[in-house]
Amino acid sequence: MKHFDEFSRQEEYISPFDRHFRRLLRKTIEESIMPFRRQYDEDWKDHRLIEPAFDKIMVGLGLQKGLFPMEYGGMGLANSDYFFRAGYMVCEELGRADTGFAVALGVTYWPLLVISVEPYVNERLIAEFAPMFCNADRAVFAANAMTEPQGGSDIENLGLLGGRTIRTTARLEGDEWVINGHKLWPTNSGGVAKLFGVPCTTKPGSNDPKDFAFIYVPADLPGVTQGGAYEKAGMAADKNGDIWFEDVRVPAWYRAHGPGRDAEAFYQLVPFGQVMSCAFLTGAMMNLYERLYEFVSTRTYNNRPLKENDAIAGVIGRIAGDIDICRILGYESAMIGDRRNKPYGKPLISEDVVGRIRNIKDFVSDRAVDCFGKAMDVLGLYGADRDWDIEKHWRDIKIVQLWMGGKQLCQMEAARYFFNCETL
Amino acid sequence: MARNLDDLFVYPTQLLDEESLSVVRLVRQWSDREIVSKRMEYREGYEHLFAGKRKKLCIDIGLQKLTIPADLGGFGWNSPSKAPAMLALAFEIGRADASIGVLSVMPWVLFLMVTRQREHEEKLCSALASLYSEEAVRTPSLILTGPGLKGIQRPLFFSRSILASAEQSESGFTLNGKDLRPLIAGGLADFFCVVCADRSGKPCIAFVPGDAKGLQRGHSILMTGLNACGNSQIDFNSVTLPMENVVAQEGNLEELHTWVSLLLGGVSVGAAMNFFELLADWSESRTIKGGVLLKENPLCASVLADVACEIALSRLLLCDLAGIVAAQKESGPETIRRTFTYAGMIGHRAQKGAMHAMNRGLELMGSAGYAKEWHVEKHWRDVKTIQSILYGVAAEAPLKMDTARFFYNCTEI
Repeated sequence: MKHFDEFSRQEEYISPFDRHFRRLLRKTIEESIMPFRRQYDEDWKDHRLIEPAFDKIMVGLGLQKGLFPMEYGGMGLANSDYFFRAGYMVCEELGRADTGFAVALGVTYWPLLVISVEPYVNERLIAEFAPMFCNADRAVFAANAMTEPQGGSDIENLGLLGGRTIRTTARLEGDEWVINGHKLWPTNSGGVAKLFGVPCTTKPGSNDPKDFAFIYVPADLPGVTQGGAYEKAGMAADKNGDIWFEDVRVPAWYRAHGPGRDAEAFYQLVPFGQVMSCAFLTGAMMNLYERLYEFVSTRTYNNRPLKENDAIAGVIGRIAGDIDICRILGYESAMIGDRRNKPYGKPLISEDVVGRIRNIKDFVSDRAVDCFGKAMDVLGLYGADRDWDIEKHWRDIKIVQLWMGGKQLCQMEAARYFFNCETL
Repeated sequence: MARNLDDLFVYPTQLLDEESLSVVRLVRQWSDREIVSKRMEYREGYEHLFAGKRKKLCIDIGLQKLTIPADLGGFGWNSPSKAPAMLALAFEIGRADASIGVLSVMPWVLFLMVTRQREHEEKLCSALASLYSEEAVRTPSLILTGPGLKGIQRPLFFSRSILASAEQSESGFTLNGKDLRPLIAGGLADFFCVVCADRSGKPCIAFVPGDAKGLQRGHSILMTGLNACGNSQIDFNSVTLPMENVVAQEGNLEELHTWVSLLLGGVSVGAAMNFFELLADWSESRTIKGGVLLKENPLCASVLADVACEIALSRLLLCDLAGIVAAQKESGPETIRRTFTYAGMIGHRAQKGAMHAMNRGLELMGSAGYAKEWHVEKHWRDVKTIQSILYGVAAEAPLKMDTARFFYNCTEI
């Protein structure tokens, strides 16, 4: 193999966007992120190095307007035939450099896709929010304010709990929603996001999906308070913090779709988030390959290059093999998403799609965590060394395995789907 | 919730005498009072508090002198029979802070090597004992074998590249080596224990003062964990050493590796034990599925079980290794080689077990495990760092080759 690009993916799945845009994106990433990424950990709080790179990627290349229709100045990806694969390509390329960067961009799409992807389109809200992203000369972020202090992954477990545990409330007063609650850990919180998508309940304790509301809240409204960014093991480009909503008032039409449809549209986030998680991981794994290739070709054991020792070759061969398989699976998961409107496809919110995609994400996450751990051991004394980049990816990608309900929810969704479990 | 770790994680206390047990209790008190019960304060003021906490352990309790012979003013634990007690201490210190753990066991290893055949090394031993008995915290560093560079043939220690050379002359030795990577503390060390090769390629160990002329330190290395240990690359540019500072006794390197595997294994498993405590607390305060206590969910309970099982078994394996080391009646080549092989196998398994436990536990804790606030991520990073650096290069391959050589008499690998 001559280049990391030769890791397998289904050629017929490659989108027109991929063919034209990937090279430009990679060049920009290699100029604006990769030379600086080893300093990102120390930049976790201020983003002095990170913000300019976001401007280049999100504004310079226009990616922050990717979802919006062309008539609003966007790229129209949300309703293209290749929305998931285009997202996969972008997140894979970014993940190769820095998964924190990739998630910050990917999550900006997250709340917006609730109103942008057929059959759940809200033209009025698209028109309302498009200028915020399409007419900006600085990077603009959105966040999905989902997780609550008491519940961990309960909100992602909508199929089982129906929103019963949500404590953030939305009360309709006249033509306004009044929102109260406390959210934590959203990507792009910690003072970054300009717009929140907020899952709320209109009737606390209810598990009726009709009482689930997804409401947009601009971050600068009175009553919205954001805490500082958490200090974490990695993922410095992705800020997370607490958000408090105290009698925050938004227009009634800021609710995504209305009773019942909000829950359905919101649930699309699960497959999208899981597919993009695969993209972050395969991107990082391809960079692992690049760095590992250099090390095993230039360093020796028994006075021969590491890669020429049969025992070591067995380990690195397996690592590369896993990357290859994970990339195939990742693109398959993206294609499952892009088949959503085809006669042979399934809706994004179907148990079939959610179960299969969660399963792929769980598998790819496990392989990624294992491959990075092994690669660090191959580097030995240098494995924990920032200069070899692998340890940064090792720290960063662990959270990808943990988020969105983590490994256990993935296992449960797979069991529910494959074994028709009825009580889990 | 307070837990009796000794009841949960069985330790064969019959391996410890009363004196050892009292030191272990003292160190646990230090750990609990100084660090474990003040996790948040310690985390937030890490750079400021670290040196003080370490000083209490090394100087006030006196662990810096642990393996200095008694007649030279130390505790006199410089015998393999004390391996179980030293391991028990490594568990306790690692439970508090892996960086302090790794730095604490380094002087023990240093004196275990220097006093191994004391009659040959009396002068060096006395000089070092005097230095390490002072009221200042001392930091030795180890430079073991590492990966070689393509195109450069190196002398080998069981196929691992020896990257420094010690050339003998009438007055002593001249040490050379470039871009050497210490296990830890290259930037801080006041003394280096360096694996090198003589002119014939025979492995030996050089003991090098930190202020030796010709010793050059590189920039600080940022690492996944153990950053308080201040590592940097080292060059030896024709460093001259007196004759007694280079020793080339048979089995030296094997014993060095054995002690490092045992004691760093103890530090990692100790860190994993505190990880267990933090995880257990967390699992008693979190609910899933709208109200079920996390630990009462069968899937989560099975993950919690994996964590406890890995830690308990890793600890037991290390105790077995300490027993093997302590039981050595003689130090012939066969015994040394057997112990070296077992140290590699068990040390590696223990590190993997600790890492596996933490990886599983983090899966359960989700983002809470990833935030620095809960401290578990620090243990996770520190132990991964120890695991990676300990085996030098090429993952498990060198260890597997050692094992294959021992069990199958392989001669070509």
